[in-house]
Amino acid sequence: MRLSKHLPMTRIRSWLALLRPESVRQRFRSWTALLKPEPLKPRALAWLALLRSKPMHHHLHPWVSTLKPTPMKHVRLLVLTDDLPRASLALAETQCFHPDRREPESERFATLPGRPFHEIHTQAQARLDKIARLIPFEPVTNLEPARVIDQAELARLNDWLGRLWDETSSYEEDFRQLDDQEHLIHEQQAALENFSHLDIDLGMLRAKTRFLNIHVGLVPRENLRQLEGAVALAGYILHVYLERGDNTHVVIVGPADAKDAGLASVLAAAGFQAIPIPEGLDREPTELQRDFEMRLAAIAEERAQLTETLQRWSECYHEPLREAQRTLRLADPLVSLDESLRSRGYLTHLAGWVPAHTVAALRERLDAALAGTYDLSVRDPLPEERPLVPTVPVKSRLLAPFALLVNQYGIPSYGEVDPTPLFALTFLLMFGSMFGDVGQGAVIALAAWTLRGKLGRFWPFGLMAGGSSVLFGFLYGSLFGYEHVLPALWMNPLSDPLLMLRLALIWGVFFIVVACLLAIYNRWAVGQWREALFGHHGVVNLVFYLALIAGGLGLSAGTGEGFGTSGGFGTVPALLVAGSLAALAWHSWLHQQAPVGEKILVVVIETLETLIGYVSNTLSFLRVAAFSLNHVALSIAVFTLADMMGAFGHVVTVVLGNVFVLVLEGGIVMIQVMRLQYYEGFSRYFSGDGHAFRPIRFGRGPA
Amino acid sequence: MSQVADQAYLNTRVSVMAARLFAPGLIERLAHLPLSALADEFGLAALLDDQAAPAARRRAVEQSLFQLLLSELLVLTHAMNAGERALVLDWGRKYALYNLKTLIRGKLHELDRSEINDNLFELPAHIRLPDKELFGAENVLELLRRLEAGPQRQIARQAREVYEQQREPFALEATIDQRYFVGLVRRVQVFDEPHRQWLRRLISAELDRIGLLWLLRFRFTYGLSPSETYYWLVPSMRLLTRERLLHLVGLDGFEQVLEALPEPLRTRCADCRSIAEIQPRLARHSLDEIRLVLARSPSAVARALAYLMLREADLFRLFAVIQGRLLGFDDRIIQHALAQIEPGVPGS
Repeated sequence: MRLSKHLPMTRIRSWLALLRPESVRQRFRSWTALLKPEPLKPRALAWLALLRSKPMHHHLHPWVSTLKPTPMKHVRLLVLTDDLPRASLALAETQCFHPDRREPESERFATLPGRPFHEIHTQAQARLDKIARLIPFEPVTNLEPARVIDQAELARLNDWLGRLWDETSSYEEDFRQLDDQEHLIHEQQAALENFSHLDIDLGMLRAKTRFLNIHVGLVPRENLRQLEGAVALAGYILHVYLERGDNTHVVIVGPADAKDAGLASVLAAAGFQAIPIPEGLDREPTELQRDFEMRLAAIAEERAQLTETLQRWSECYHEPLREAQRTLRLADPLVSLDESLRSRGYLTHLAGWVPAHTVAALRERLDAALAGTYDLSVRDPLPEERPLVPTVPVKSRLLAPFALLVNQYGIPSYGEVDPTPLFALTFLLMFGSMFGDVGQGAVIALAAWTLRGKLGRFWPFGLMAGGSSVLFGFLYGSLFGYEHVLPALWMNPLSDPLLMLRLALIWGVFFIVVACLLAIYNRWAVGQWREALFGHHGVVNLVFYLALIAGGLGLSAGTGEGFGTSGGFGTVPALLVAGSLAALAWHSWLHQQAPVGEKILVVVIETLETLIGYVSNTLSFLRVAAFSLNHVALSIAVFTLADMMGAFGHVVTVVLGNVFVLVLEGGIVMIQVMRLQYYEGFSRYFSGDGHAFRPIRFGRGPA
Repeated sequence: MSQVADQAYLNTRVSVMAARLFAPGLIERLAHLPLSALADEFGLAALLDDQAAPAARRRAVEQSLFQLLLSELLVLTHAMNAGERALVLDWGRKYALYNLKTLIRGKLHELDRSEINDNLFELPAHIRLPDKELFGAENVLELLRRLEAGPQRQIARQAREVYEQQREPFALEATIDQRYFVGLVRRVQVFDEPHRQWLRRLISAELDRIGLLWLLRFRFTYGLSPSETYYWLVPSMRLLTRERLLHLVGLDGFEQVLEALPEPLRTRCADCRSIAEIQPRLARHSLDEIRLVLARSPSAVARALAYLMLREADLFRLFAVIQGRLLGFDDRIIQHALAQIEPGVPGS
């Protein structure tokens, strides 16, 4: 028995109205009571009640949401199919609904109610785009006041656009014909130019003679060989007299009694285009040329007239076309919902993700749009749904360019810490420390400010990177490579390279520890305890790393107090290193599915890799110091060269040297910082396998 | 790097994949297997779910088998250089051309968008046409003009010019087929030896088969003139060469053409009285040639293409049996359908 195909619409409206304000149980009772008299209703409502009373357990840990930028909710909306355009408009206006394209759990919702609407919209949009190529009109910028576009209105618009395109396409065809005529005249010119070198009566080429049929024309070069064979079978010979572009000019000659009818179809199949031979070929070449020029000018004039006619004819359509574009944009939300919609009779199911803080506003908007005839159920995402939950992007204007760089690696998955703020901070710190120069930093900042129109959302990135460079330039006392003009607020990197290297190592250790902590948190947050403990860069790895650092410090300091050592690596660090490596090896052993020999090999290699990896990754941060030293060293090189020149040469060398340093070293430092971020940071704690929150909204692109 | 070392990876890949080809015993057995056994043996249980309508199941199986073939094609192209990859992808683009023909027929008969969509193959990005854009075209000419803006512009331009002049679907589809095969022949010509020799043999096996079938069909079924028939044919590089085709199209009778065929086609087609009888024999000839290339060729790309052609024929066989079972045909009819399977022709 079908659920709602046979139910009166008003009855369903009243059910839905009843459903809204009450608790699930109360609603269930009221439906049951309401539906008792008719046999179809109890089943329908029981089914609705079943849908509505799905358990909402298995929520994510509540504390997790405190570290999430935007907690999300899963919403399921039941609306009357007829109300879909209104519902989609309301959802688009809130700009907070990201459709969930999974099929509903209930298989009863099998129809795709948005499909016809989508198809009509696609065709109408395609027609509008085609028309807009010939009739340019001012694009719509304001969609206010928003109104509901139903399928009937869309279909009417589509039909109108179809009729308009029929008329418009005739202009397009006229333009094409003019192009073809122009092309043919050029080919004719080329052909006659070629014939002028021959000592024959060209007038003969124009018509059939008593004994010969002659065809002069051009054929696509790729068809030539096949055509040659085909015309030979019809008793003709083919002669090539000119090759131009993709075409070959040919003369096909055969006896008048040859099978000409068969030849015509072959010539048509081969794309043969006859070249008309003009009258009076015995005239002066200049006269002929003048004739061609006149014909070309006539075509150009005809084209101008056609353009003017089109313009005059289309003037009255500009406003209707703008209105059509507006209608299509207003219909966009329902089109983008198409794949998420499933209906059965009068009811349509729609699911999606919304930021938790927007649920109340969404409900309010739906109340206003649908007058209470809907049912909205809201729940937290289930753990297994985590990969499906979209991530709301960073809204801050300052962080937006950094978010773009983070998104190059991947989009944070739901439940994962968004690395953008940390990325921005560490990026600026490292860039500034590796490229510290007041003058060059100011140039970067100034360039970003000047080009802000062209750089779009990226310009604050340049401004901040330049600013950081200026800041470190003051600390280093460096101005366009001059190390003694400004007093260093801290010190010149070259004055104590060992300190710089030591600081870079400390920074590296700090960076790796933070990355490991984030990795542990990200796994813990989604309930992957074992991974948080034993996985890559988990707790055991961190213990190993910290013990390794402690032991290393003991070795380098030669004291070891506090670590149970007396000037060596230290017993406690050694025990911790050995213990954590053993724990990692044991964990790896348990997860291998291979013969014992292979397991041993894999475990040994993995353990060794852990050891080498952490050491090399920490040493990798030495580049931060190396580039700050390199910057000063490059400047010294520039000044050494400049000092070899005269006064003018000095200035030129310093300017060019600064440009060189700015472009080359600036670029390299940028790449090195990105490498440290992506490889030493993101690869540890950031999966980047999420997807961005894209709420449905009104179309924005021009037609 | 030596020729052998250069080809080692692709050759090994092809050898491993060749183990998937149906053994002669399995081909014999196919026609007698019930639907449930087919589903179990080929892992199609989910697709042959009883609840779905037969047409939906048929469509799901067809799509799944094509996806399998094209996924294997893409796997093989990973181990190829640019020229080899272009050839193999060009071979696979025939499915895009089937889609194009479906779109053209749909537009000609003003079919509903969903009806056209139901008959399109889902293809990977490397191969497919811009179907969505083409759907927006209002008629065949507009469709071909849109296609001219993409990589298929050669085929599209030629097809449009022919359609503009002749306004009939036969010329349009014949042009598309002809351009496709001419493109393949041209691709083969740029290879060095020994690839060229074996690729020519492989492509010629296809061209000899379709060349003879088209010749007989155009000349004696459609009644085209010798010159027009010749124009639509694509000369092969082995048996039905340009000169031989020029001679054959000039002959006036079906039997005369069979008599004048070069060996081994003449022996294969001896005593045939209709195109339907010739068809399975030519298919056997082509498949034998393709198997020979797979077994003996030193050219890895020729072997890879041969494998794909044989795999395609196997999957067509499997699909034919499933389709027969879904339609409730008996073993005899299914066996007859299997004998008609030609390489490269879905649903034959």
